[in-house]
Amino acid sequence: MPESKLSVEGIRKEFPLAQGGGTGTLQVIGGIDLDVAENEFLTIIGPSGCGKTTLLKIIASLVAPDAGCVRVNGRVVTEPGAERAMVFQSFGLFPWKTVLDNVRFPLVTRRVPTAEATERAMTYLHKVGLERFADSHPHQLSGGMQQRVGLARALATEPDILLMDEPFGAIDAQTRELMQEELMRLWQETRKTVVFVTHDLDEAVLLADRVLLLSPGPGRVRRIVPVELPRPRWEYDVRAHPDFAPLRAELWSALRGDLLADQQSGVAS
Amino acid sequence: MSAPARPRPVLQLRYWLPVLSLAVFLTVWELVGRSVDPLLFAPPTRVAASFAELVRSGQLPAAVAVTINTLLIGYGLAILVGIPFGVLLAQSRTVGTVLRPYLYGIFSTPRVVIVPLIIVWFGVGYAGRLLLVFLWSMIAIATSTADGVRNARPDLVEVARSFGVSRLQIVRHVLLPGSVPFVVSGLRIGAERAVVGVVIGEMFLELTGLGGLIVTEAQSFETGAVLSAVVTIAVIGTVLIFGLDAVERRVSRWKERSG
Amino acid sequence: MTAVADAPVRPARTPPHRRRSARRAVPHLVFLAALLVAWQLAAQLLEPIVLPSVDAVAAAFVDLVLTGELPLALAQSILLLVLGLGIASAVGLGFGILIGRSQVAHWTLSPYFSALFVIPTVALVPIVLIWFGFGMTGRVIIVVLAAVVPILLSVASSLRDEPGELVEVARSFGVRGELALLRTVRLRAAVPVIMSGLRLAVGRAVVGMAVAETYLRLGGIGGLIRDYGSLFQTDYVFAAILPLSLLGVGLSALVGVLERHYQGWRS
Repeated sequence: MPESKLSVEGIRKEFPLAQGGGTGTLQVIGGIDLDVAENEFLTIIGPSGCGKTTLLKIIASLVAPDAGCVRVNGRVVTEPGAERAMVFQSFGLFPWKTVLDNVRFPLVTRRVPTAEATERAMTYLHKVGLERFADSHPHQLSGGMQQRVGLARALATEPDILLMDEPFGAIDAQTRELMQEELMRLWQETRKTVVFVTHDLDEAVLLADRVLLLSPGPGRVRRIVPVELPRPRWEYDVRAHPDFAPLRAELWSALRGDLLADQQSGVAS
Repeated sequence: MSAPARPRPVLQLRYWLPVLSLAVFLTVWELVGRSVDPLLFAPPTRVAASFAELVRSGQLPAAVAVTINTLLIGYGLAILVGIPFGVLLAQSRTVGTVLRPYLYGIFSTPRVVIVPLIIVWFGVGYAGRLLLVFLWSMIAIATSTADGVRNARPDLVEVARSFGVSRLQIVRHVLLPGSVPFVVSGLRIGAERAVVGVVIGEMFLELTGLGGLIVTEAQSFETGAVLSAVVTIAVIGTVLIFGLDAVERRVSRWKERSG
Repeated sequence: MTAVADAPVRPARTPPHRRRSARRAVPHLVFLAALLVAWQLAAQLLEPIVLPSVDAVAAAFVDLVLTGELPLALAQSILLLVLGLGIASAVGLGFGILIGRSQVAHWTLSPYFSALFVIPTVALVPIVLIWFGFGMTGRVIIVVLAAVVPILLSVASSLRDEPGELVEVARSFGVRGELALLRTVRLRAAVPVIMSGLRLAVGRAVVGMAVAETYLRLGGIGGLIRDYGSLFQTDYVFAAILPLSLLGVGLSALVGVLERHYQGWRS
């Protein structure tokens, strides 16, 4: 069996409940094991509070797990590193930097020589179609454009693994569809391994090779569903494909079950 | 009471009124000054005459040179020390909280009463005057910078961390640029503190510069000369503030234009 | 689906609250103790003139209190402060309302107040004393000049902004006329901003008071400090500076409390 690109072993995470000096912890993640193959596009979906963003941050080493470890290329990682790059829901661009400086930021801080950093940054800005905006500031760009800058920034570091935290959540529906297509093109071109967190079921199925459904309270893997719809998926109407509906239905019934169970047991989600 | 709707008349009124009121003010002052003892009251013509005399004799230029020297060096040092100190203060919540009352206490103590201590420690010389400018200005800049750094956007710090950036780089790329409004506010307060500090030093320690000029001329009841010196100080202060406004505009160019 | 032990935990009773305040005081107490120890040690190494020991300052303080010098000086200073702040508030409020509500007044009068603000109070002291004499009048005027502008500016700027629909609502209830509107709606809405202006004014007033008294060597805490300073009795100087600092800090804190109280209705 080929060694997986990314493996998550026995991850657990608790957060203390700081209410009025009392004690108590919230178990956000209760034991997750996961293997992601090279070049795989994995989407993670689940109701609010299932820990999917926390899991992603643990994979990015922004949050330390209470138990378990994360391995990239077989080696345990505990700090953020060049092999992983993250794209954020709120774009995370520095408002005081130009678009070019934002994309160059991770390169400059890693001591890549300026000329090379600029060239790489412009290359990826070109890939996302924003090279003309290199000297603009983020506030001059629309949400979709800002996220493309965020994507260019992540890609410019030439990571092995791309971690995406609901990247299109703050973008309007029409732009989102375009962004999804653009993301799939870029992924196909650059052949990265992608872990993509979303709350949108359609998006999860559309983009993924596999969909991971997390159940909440505490977060655990509920189901992993392979998506074998043909690629490239922007060349036809994916939702009309005969395999789409049953896949979605299977995921939805599991997800819905969790959502209803949450409501009935009165656990805050 | 509200201004008329058409733009042209409003524009004229806006510029004419201050000019008109200034003319009225100066005229009244002149007349009152002439009827009362002009020596004591210093009507505008007398102030102008004193000003010209002070410039001609070289007294004013010399005083200005001394004052500006102390001011710029003290304020400059306050910026060089204050900003890094502020960043340091923001690093540890405990240290910042513990030091704060003492910094605030020093800051709120009127410098005039500290003067006796300065005389004991440094004598009446340059060092004491510089300290009066430096320390209070530095505290203003440092506390404002610390506030700014502590209020930096945590989401952007997380973004920086995700790219494996060192602590120092986070300070340079995220914390400081994000604190600019606070830092600028600190620079403003620091500038005002610096101007007051230099004048206090010159009036209460060694009588030199513009402050010294005020005291010596006041002792001779040369009110015209005193007012000339006061106005000069006001002008220096205003120039400094305008300079800071320009710096702020330049540094905030990335901001959205409001409204 | 098992429900996990993540239901909200009922907060424990009062002790943690008190425990938290006590815990927060610890670093302050530790630092203060360390400071006093360091001070005492340094005082052994240096001349008593340069750095009086902690016990010397304490003794001086007690002496000042017992002989009544300190209480008298404080009383004089506080009187000056209260008079000056009172007049500054009245003037600041009056002119602030005028400038805030009338564009004409704003264009005519604002430049003078802005000019006043830029001039250090110290620089004005000699002139004021020549014109108004060395008595209480001159001193009060100095404090007024120091404190009036922040109050005025905060009143003016807060009144210039319309408090939104509140004015419409008041009008619909039959409140008529500029003065009535002012009283019922505008001033109330302006209170938070005025409070912050007042806090600044109080700080400047304390400085003005200290400057007036020191320059004149006439009573009050400033005069007291100057007198002992000229005798190089540093222990007494330290002892007298402390209440002055506390006065300034205390007054600012007081206004801060008022400020927060009036901000209560804000989200």
